[in-house]
Amino acid sequence: MNEREPGIDRRQLLKGSLALGMASLLTPRVLRANDSSTVTLPFERGRRPLVAFPQKRPLMVMTTRPPQLETPFHIFNEDIFTPNDAFFVRWHLANIPREIDINTFRLTIRGRVKQSLTLGLHELQTQFEQVEIAAVCQCAGNSRGFFQPRVPGGQWGNGAMGNANWKGVRLRDLLQRAGIERDAVQVRFDGLDQPVAQATPDFRKSMSLPDALQAEMLVAHSMNGEALPLLNGFPLRLVVPGWYATYWVKMLNDIEVLNQADQNFWTSQAYRLPANPCHCVDPGDALTDTVPIGKMPVRSFITSLENGGTIPGGERCTIKGIAFDQGHGIDRVLFSVDGGQQWQSARLGKDFGDFSFRPWEAQFIPKPGHTYALQSLAINRIGESQRFGARWNPSGYLRNVVESVKIHAS
Amino acid sequence: MIPVWMFLLLLVGATGFAWGSPANGNDREQGSILNLPADPISFQPGPGNDLASRYCLMCHSAEYVYTQPPHPREHWIEIVNKMNASFGCPISDEDMTPLVDYLVTQNSLQPSPSAQHVQRDDLKETPGQSSTQSGDPQKGKTLYGRHCVTCHGPDGKGDGPIGQALVPPAANLTLLGKQSDQTILDTLRNGRPGTAMPAWKNDLNALELNHLLSFLRTLSP
Repeated sequence: MNEREPGIDRRQLLKGSLALGMASLLTPRVLRANDSSTVTLPFERGRRPLVAFPQKRPLMVMTTRPPQLETPFHIFNEDIFTPNDAFFVRWHLANIPREIDINTFRLTIRGRVKQSLTLGLHELQTQFEQVEIAAVCQCAGNSRGFFQPRVPGGQWGNGAMGNANWKGVRLRDLLQRAGIERDAVQVRFDGLDQPVAQATPDFRKSMSLPDALQAEMLVAHSMNGEALPLLNGFPLRLVVPGWYATYWVKMLNDIEVLNQADQNFWTSQAYRLPANPCHCVDPGDALTDTVPIGKMPVRSFITSLENGGTIPGGERCTIKGIAFDQGHGIDRVLFSVDGGQQWQSARLGKDFGDFSFRPWEAQFIPKPGHTYALQSLAINRIGESQRFGARWNPSGYLRNVVESVKIHAS
Repeated sequence: MIPVWMFLLLLVGATGFAWGSPANGNDREQGSILNLPADPISFQPGPGNDLASRYCLMCHSAEYVYTQPPHPREHWIEIVNKMNASFGCPISDEDMTPLVDYLVTQNSLQPSPSAQHVQRDDLKETPGQSSTQSGDPQKGKTLYGRHCVTCHGPDGKGDGPIGQALVPPAANLTLLGKQSDQTILDTLRNGRPGTAMPAWKNDLNALELNHLLSFLRTLSP
C-alpha cells in the first residue's frame, strides 16, 4: 500500500482529521499475533507485537501506555548506529506532551547559579560550541527478562539499547555560563513529561556536580544527524555517555543546581543497586544499603546469528557482533564456539569513540551435524571483563553475563 | 458509500501512521501532534478485574501486567504496595486484597491478549450503525456504576474520587451535549490517548456501549 497519496499533503489531512474529532482512526494498526508481526522473546510471556508508533518503524511493544518499545535485535547487525526510527523507547509517565512548539520552547538553568538562564533552541544552537559524540544509550533494565529467578519490572529482552551520534552543547558550558555557586553539590534534570495521577512523583534525575561537569555530558538537539524523534525526547535530551539511560532525561526543559542531595523519589528511592562491589544479592535476600545506579559494565553480543539458528557446515562462517562499556573503550573481544572452553581473539572493527558500539567479527568452520554454543567476551581498556555467572539483584539491573548463542551446522 | 476524505483517513491509519521517516529531513512533523495508539488490550474478566481497570489503567496499559512473568503472591503484594505508597495510586484499604487476588489469577490464565482482541472485535459494530435510540439508559446506568463512576463521579461531573486525582482530571460528562453519538462511541471504544481514559472495546460489546451512550445522554441538561 502506498504510504503517500500523490498530491495530498498528509499534514493537512492529519490536521483536518483532528479538527473533525477522528483521531482514533489514525492510531497505529495493532498487528495480530501468530503472523510475522510478532517477536517472541525467549522467556515466559515474551511475545511482543510489532507496531509502528509515530516516527518509528514497527518495534516490539512492551507497553503501549506509557510507550515502551524494544528494538528487534537483528537491527544491531545491520548498522553500528541504531536508526532513529528503530531506537528503543521508554517513558515512565504517560502524560507526555502531544505537541512541542519549538518557537516557545525554553530550557531553564536555575537554582544555585549566579544568573538563571532561559534559552530557546536557536540560542542553544548559535551561542554555544556544537559538539558531537557517539554513545550507547542503554536502559538500566535492559535484559531484565533473562533474570533467574524472574523479577518484577519492564520485561525487556536485549533490545532496550541503541547507539547514536548525538549532537548538542556541553552541559558544563551551560552551567558555566550560568555561573555555579560555591555551595552547589548536585544538578537535577527535569523533562516535560508529567504524571497522570497528581500524587505520582514527577520524573526527575540528579547527578553530582563533578559528574555533570564532565566534558562528554551533552544537552543534545540532534541524533544521527536529525532532530530527535518525539518519543526519544524531542527537542532536547540529556546525553550522559557511559551511564544508564535513566539519566538521559528526555524533553529536557529544566536544569536545577542544588546545594544538597536530591530527595526526589526517582533518585533517592528508585533505580538503586545493592551497595556492594558486585551490586548483587542472593535471590530472596533483603536489600539493606543501596546506591544509585550509574555507569554501565562492559557487554558484548553476537548479532549475526540468532539463538537456535542453523548455519551451513563445512564452510567458513563469519560471526559478527558488538561490544561496549562505560567509556574506557573496548580493548579485546574473545570468541568461543564451545561454550567458553577455548577462546580465540575476535577482530575489532572501526573505532567510533570510547562510548560507542565497537563492531567485531570472528570466523570458524563448523562441522556438519555439530551443535555449537557461541560466546563472546569483551574486555575494556582497564581490564574489566564481562561476568561468567549472571549476577542477580531484585530490580534486574546491570546484566553483563557472557551470553550464549546455540547454533546447529547443517 | 464513505466519502473520499474518510477513505483517505482510513488509508493513513491503516499504513501504521509512520510519518516522519528519516528521509524527510529536519523540517518535518516534529512540532506536530504526537498521536499515540490507544491501549490494545484490557483486563480479562474475573473477580476483581474492575479494580484492576480502575486503579492500574489510570497510569499504564494492561500490557504491563500481561508481560510480567508469573509472579508469586508476595511479588504482587510488593508491586501493589509500591504503586500505592510510592506512585500515589489511591487504592483503598479494602481494595488491596481483592486487587492482589485478581493479579495473582492472571498468572495462571496465560492470557492471549491478541486472541482476545480478535474475538472481541467480532462484537464491534461498524461505524454508523449505533445510535442513542438503540440503548437502554437503565442498563447504561448499571454499567456506568460498575465502570465509570469512580472517575467521572455519580452525576458525571468528573468529580469521582479518582477522577479528581488525575492530570488531566476526568472529563465532565454533563458537557457532552454537542458531541455526536459517533464521537462519544469512538472515545468509549478507543479511549483518549494522553489521558487515563482507557479503551473499553474489549470489555464492553456494541450493545453495552449503546446502553452507556443512552445513559450519558441523560446527564446533559
